[in-house]
Amino acid sequence: MPNSLYEKYGGFKTISRIVISFYETVLDSDDVGHHFDGVDMNRLIDHQTKFMSALLGGPVSFNDERLHTLHRGLNITDPEFDAIMDILRDALMQHGMGETDIEFTLQEIEKKRPIIVSRRSP
Amino acid sequence: MSISAINEQLLRAIGVGVALVRARDLSFVFFNQPFAEWFGTPGENAKLTEVVEALGEADLGNLQDDGLRFSSEVQIKRKRRTLVFAVNISLTQDASEPLLVVECQNITRIRELESMIDSYSTMVERNTRELEREKERVERLLLNLMPRSVYEEFKTFGVVTPQLFPQVSVVMLDFVNFTDFAARTDPTVTLSELNDIFTAFDRIVEQYGCERIKTIGDAYLAVSGMPEANPDHTAAVAHCATRFLRYLERRNQSHPHKWQARVGLGCGAVVGSVVGVQKYVYDVFGPAVNLAARLQVQADPMTIVATQEMEEAMADDFQTIALGRETLKGLGDVDLIQVVKPLDKTKPHQRFSQ
Repeated sequence: MPNSLYEKYGGFKTISRIVISFYETVLDSDDVGHHFDGVDMNRLIDHQTKFMSALLGGPVSFNDERLHTLHRGLNITDPEFDAIMDILRDALMQHGMGETDIEFTLQEIEKKRPIIVSRRSP
Repeated sequence: MSISAINEQLLRAIGVGVALVRARDLSFVFFNQPFAEWFGTPGENAKLTEVVEALGEADLGNLQDDGLRFSSEVQIKRKRRTLVFAVNISLTQDASEPLLVVECQNITRIRELESMIDSYSTMVERNTRELEREKERVERLLLNLMPRSVYEEFKTFGVVTPQLFPQVSVVMLDFVNFTDFAARTDPTVTLSELNDIFTAFDRIVEQYGCERIKTIGDAYLAVSGMPEANPDHTAAVAHCATRFLRYLERRNQSHPHKWQARVGLGCGAVVGSVVGVQKYVYDVFGPAVNLAARLQVQADPMTIVATQEMEEAMADDFQTIALGRETLKGLGDVDLIQVVKPLDKTKPHQRFSQ
């Protein structure tokens, strides 16, 4: 019995693919893509790799303070957060993650909503 | 279809950006679809350096002189993406006039994967370092509980075989009126006093190649001759014992509480083993341990008591006083001696050297 989703789905091998899909879709997205205008590619990929690994219980921790620092000043709204969740759901599905595991993962991120979203919709 | 037509089809179809420019003025003769997509369709009289802005004329100067191949990496911003291209340019003289062949490969994905691997490997490396540190912490902890050689055995085989050491000396020290002291003193003070003293003892024990086995409350137990055999085990524990007392005397001069201790030395066989499955303790048992414990009780405060049999083994190093025969519980009649002080060892050496 694997200890984490990270191990269950094959570790970095799968993570790298999920990150690439996620990254591609996010950059192309009309809803949220603008947040990544002018962002350094290496930094973005670094964060996404770590974030994704941490999310699935891989060998890294991504604490709430760091998450807060990274998103501070980005003025992310609830609909944008939802859009990212949809993109992530697709990326996870595309790489063969089971329904229950996807739901579990998304619920975990849902808990971070107050940290990431800085502009509450009226 | 002619060969040249096929060639052109090929150049158009491949995923590599290809362009041919005149070496003379860098104007375009040909470019394929990928090239136009990445760098924009070159205008009528556009020059290569205008279309691919990262390229300078100076970069291409050498090519015309000595036919070198120019290789470089070019980054362009396309909307939110940074695209990275590996650009190779070489000169060809085959055509009617010198032409520069420009090949561009999109290596964006490779660079992305590289930075992902970098990111991942720093995570893994940090984790490995943490695990390594954790392992060292555990090892240090276990080394407090058992001698190194026993720990090595434990690590390799997962168990420790009880071992008999026939010739071992034991030193046991106990404080006089410790219970009284503990009862009327703040426990943190008691503990810090004990900690201070036992730490000093540990250093003395280490200095004489002995091994501290345990402390039981205020009692301190160390051995010599195990796990590594030591022919001078008796002298070694006697040295520890005299040093313990000297340390206490010195300490008492500058500390409010004056510690008094009794010391017993024992000699004989001992069994050493790890006891317990979940809570490991390395412990020793046997006649030598019992003897030291009994003799320690016989000692007056700030003195060291051993048996007559041990005298010979320490005669070279220590002055002793006979204390007479005592009947000890479980041991019968035993001739006791008091270990007074180490002999000054410089004198015999001087005599020999003359």
